[in-house]
Amino acid sequence: MSETENMIVLEGVEKIYPGSTSPAVERLDMTIPRGEIVMLIGPSGCGKTTTLKMMNRLIEPTSGRILLDGDDVTDVNGDQLRRKIGYVIQQGGLFPHFSIADNIGVVPKMLGWDKNKIRERADELLHLVGLEPSTYRDRYPRQLSGGQQQRVGVARALAADPPVMLMDEPFGAIDPITRDRLQDEFLEIQRTVGKTIAFVTHDLQEAVKLGDRIAVFATGGRLAQYDDPDTVLTHPADDFVSDFVGGGAAVRRLSLLELSRLELHPIETAESAVGNRNGTPVAEVDAQGRPVSWRHLPDRDASGTALVTVPLSGTVYDAVDVMLDGSASLVAVVDDEGLPQGVLHWNDLVAGLKTRERDR
Amino acid sequence: MTAVDLQPGLPSGTEPSASGSGGGFLGTIRANYDLLVAPAIIIVGLILTYVYISTRTLDSIEARALEANNVLSQLGQHLLLTLYSTVLVLVIAVPLGIVLSRPGARRVQGGVLALGGFAQALPPFGVLLLLGFWEFGVRSAVIGLTLAALLPVLRNTVVGLQQVDQSLIEAARGMGMSSRQTLFRVEIPLAVPVIVAGLRVALVLNVGTATLATYIGAGGLGELVQQALRLNRINLLIVSGVIIAALALAVDWLAGVAERVIVARSG
Amino acid sequence: MNVFQYFAENSTQIINLTIQHAQFVFYCVAIGSIISVAIGLVVSTGEPNPNRFSFDWWATGIREGSLLITAAVLTVPSLALFVLFLPITGLGVTTAIIVLTIYTLYTVLRNTVAGLTAVDRSILESARGLGYGRVRRLLTIQLPLAWPVILNGIRVTTLISISIAVVASIVQGPGLGKLLLTGITRIGAANAFPQVLIGTVMCLVVAAVFEIIFAIVQRLTIPRGIRV
Repeated sequence: MSETENMIVLEGVEKIYPGSTSPAVERLDMTIPRGEIVMLIGPSGCGKTTTLKMMNRLIEPTSGRILLDGDDVTDVNGDQLRRKIGYVIQQGGLFPHFSIADNIGVVPKMLGWDKNKIRERADELLHLVGLEPSTYRDRYPRQLSGGQQQRVGVARALAADPPVMLMDEPFGAIDPITRDRLQDEFLEIQRTVGKTIAFVTHDLQEAVKLGDRIAVFATGGRLAQYDDPDTVLTHPADDFVSDFVGGGAAVRRLSLLELSRLELHPIETAESAVGNRNGTPVAEVDAQGRPVSWRHLPDRDASGTALVTVPLSGTVYDAVDVMLDGSASLVAVVDDEGLPQGVLHWNDLVAGLKTRERDR
Repeated sequence: MTAVDLQPGLPSGTEPSASGSGGGFLGTIRANYDLLVAPAIIIVGLILTYVYISTRTLDSIEARALEANNVLSQLGQHLLLTLYSTVLVLVIAVPLGIVLSRPGARRVQGGVLALGGFAQALPPFGVLLLLGFWEFGVRSAVIGLTLAALLPVLRNTVVGLQQVDQSLIEAARGMGMSSRQTLFRVEIPLAVPVIVAGLRVALVLNVGTATLATYIGAGGLGELVQQALRLNRINLLIVSGVIIAALALAVDWLAGVAERVIVARSG
Repeated sequence: MNVFQYFAENSTQIINLTIQHAQFVFYCVAIGSIISVAIGLVVSTGEPNPNRFSFDWWATGIREGSLLITAAVLTVPSLALFVLFLPITGLGVTTAIIVLTIYTLYTVLRNTVAGLTAVDRSILESARGLGYGRVRRLLTIQLPLAWPVILNGIRVTTLISISIAVVASIVQGPGLGKLLLTGITRIGAANAFPQVLIGTVMCLVVAAVFEIIFAIVQRLTIPRGIRV
C-alpha cells in the first residue's frame, strides 16, 4: 500500500436524492490527512451524515470521486470496501443475538480470519476499550449499559484494524458524564491506534475537544468552513459559521477554548527568579513549589493583588471565572501537581488570545 | 403480547406498517386501496361463475336448488345465524373482557389469554355438532357459533385494554378522574381499535361456522353444499362455494369499512 | 354407551385418527410455512423508500399484494374453499392438503414480513456499514432476529389448522373429522355422541402436543441474546 499523505479525498462529490431538486450535499472537495480526526458538524439536514456515508458508499454519490489511500473507490464493490473501513453509529448498532466477542469478530470473520486469531483480537480490543474480556466476552449486548455498548461498537469497528474509521454521532445518545469519559477514552485510544477518522457530531464542544479539524456544514449541504478548531472559533469563514459557533455570544467561545492550547505569559517563582526581570510576574511558592502569593508584578503593587490559580486542563471560561471571583486581573495557570505553568492576563482576553499549534 | 400474536384476519391497517410517511404511492395503497381487493375478487368471481353456469344446461335438481327464492331464503337464514351469534358475542365477551382487565381479576387474566390462544384449536364444527345432541335447530346453532367466537373477542378486549399506555391512565387519575371515569373516558376509547378488530374476527368466524349449521338442521348456505355433495352435482358445488366465499368476503369487507370508520372516529 | 367405554373399545382407531390428524396438520403447516417464509424473505428487503422499479420496489408491491390476497383467502369459510377445489382435485386427501396449506399461508407470511421489517434500522445500518451484503444481512441478522415472531406465526397457524382440518372430512380428507361426521350422521345411535365428543376433544390433545413441541423448538432455536 502506498503511503499517501491524504487518507480520504472527496473530489467534487455531490448527492442529489431522487425526486429532490436541491442537492443534499453540494459539490464537495475535501481532504482528510492520514491519522487525523475530522469532525463533521452542522445543523440537522446539512448533509454531514450524508457526506460521512458517502465515504464508505452507504450512500452512493450522484457524481464525483472518492479516493481512499490514493485508490479510487468510487466504483469498487461497496460491501468489500466497507469491510476495510471501520464504522460506528449511535448506540453501537450491536447485533443483539451475537455475544460481545462475536460482535467484535464480525468483520474478521467475513475476512476469513482464523478462529483463534479472532478470539485473541476480541480480547485485545476489549482490553483496549477498557472492558475486562473474561467478564464481557460472552455477554450479550442487552446486558451492557449504553456506554459499554458504545465501547464495544468502537472495538468492533477497530477489529480488522482498518486505517479509516467513520463515526456517526457515536456518543449522541449517551448521558453527558459518560459521554465526557468516553471522549477522553476515545482520544486515548486514538493516541495508540492513530486512525484516520471522520466523525459526525452536532455538539460543538465535542467537535472542538476531539477534532484536529472541523468541517462546518451549512444548510443545503454546503461546506462552509474546513479548518482547525481554533480558526473555526476565532475566525469564522462567514456569517453562517459565526452564527453556528455562537458569534453573538463571544463568551461561549471561552468555554470551548482550553488553557492548554493557549500561548501563556511566563511566570517566575521566588526561588528561580534571577534579579528583577521587568514584565515577568514573580510568585512566592510553598514547600511543594505551589504558588501562594505574588512577590512582584510588573505594573502594579504585588501585595494588593490576590494570587488566584486555575488548572491547565480548564478552559478560558474557568480562568475568567476565577479572576472575577478573586477580583484579580491576572491568574496563574497550574498543572496537575499545582506547579505554575504560566500566566493569563485579563487584558489578553481583550487583546485576543494566542493559541499555539496542537501537539499530538 | 404483540399485535402479530393476535388472531388471523386482523385488518391490515392495524399491522406494524413498514411503509412510513414517505411511502407515497405504496403508502396510499396501504392506507385505503386494500379495501378494493375484496370487492374486486367478489365481482370477478361472481361474473366468472355466472358466465360458466350460463354455458351449462342445468338439470331439474340443479335448477330447483339454484332458484332465487331457495338461495335467498338460505342466505337469509345464514345472515340471521351470523347476526344473532355476533350480537351475543358482543354482549357477552366485551363486558366480560372489561371485567377481566380490572386489577382484581389479574390472576384470571393470564389464564384466559393463554386459553384464548389454545382454544383456536377447538373446532367450531365439533362444538356445533355436540350442541346438536342437545337439540337440532337454530337455537343450538346460535349458541354454538357464539361459543366458538367468544374467545377471540374476549382476548382482544383484554389485550386492547392492557395495551393502553399506563402513563395515560396515571395522568387521568392524576387529574382526579375516578377509576370508573378513567375506564370509560380513557381506557375503553383507546382500546376500541383492538376490540373492534376482535369483533371483526368473530363476525368472519361466524359466517364460516354458519355454513356448518346445516349439519344440525339450522339451515343456511351450507344446505346448498350438502345437497350438492349428496347429489354429486358439480355445478351446484361451484355455485354454492362461490356464493359462500363471496358472502364471507363481503361481510368482512363491510366490517373492515365499519372498523376503519369507528377507529377514525375514536381518534 | 358412555364416552369412556367407547374410548376404551375403540382406542386403536381413535389414536390412529389422532395421529393422522396431527400428520395432516403437520404436513400442511410445514409446506405452507416453507412457502410463506421463502416469500417473506424475498420480499422483506427492509427498504423503506425504494426507488421506482428497483428490486425493492417490486418486492414491496409483491409483499403488499400477497398479504392482501392471503388475508382475503383466510376469510373464505373453509367449507367453501374445500368445495371449490373439488371439481379440480376431487374428493380425498389431495384437496384436503391443498386447501389446508393455503389456509396456513397468511399468518406465517404476515409474521415473517412483520418480523423481518421490524428489525431495528440501526442494526441493519451498522451491518451494512461493516460490509454485510444483502443476502448475508437477511440470513444472519434479519432472520435470526425475526425468528421468534415467525415461529409464533407458525404456532398460531398450527392451532388454527388443527380446527380447520376437521372440516376436511366433508370432502373425505384425513383425520379426526371422520369421527365427527360418522357421529352426526348416525345421531340417535348409542355411540354417536361419544364419537363427536372424542373427535372434538382429541383436537385439543393434538394442540397440546404441538404446543409442547413448539415450546421445545423455541427453546432450541431462539438465539440466547434475544430470548425473553
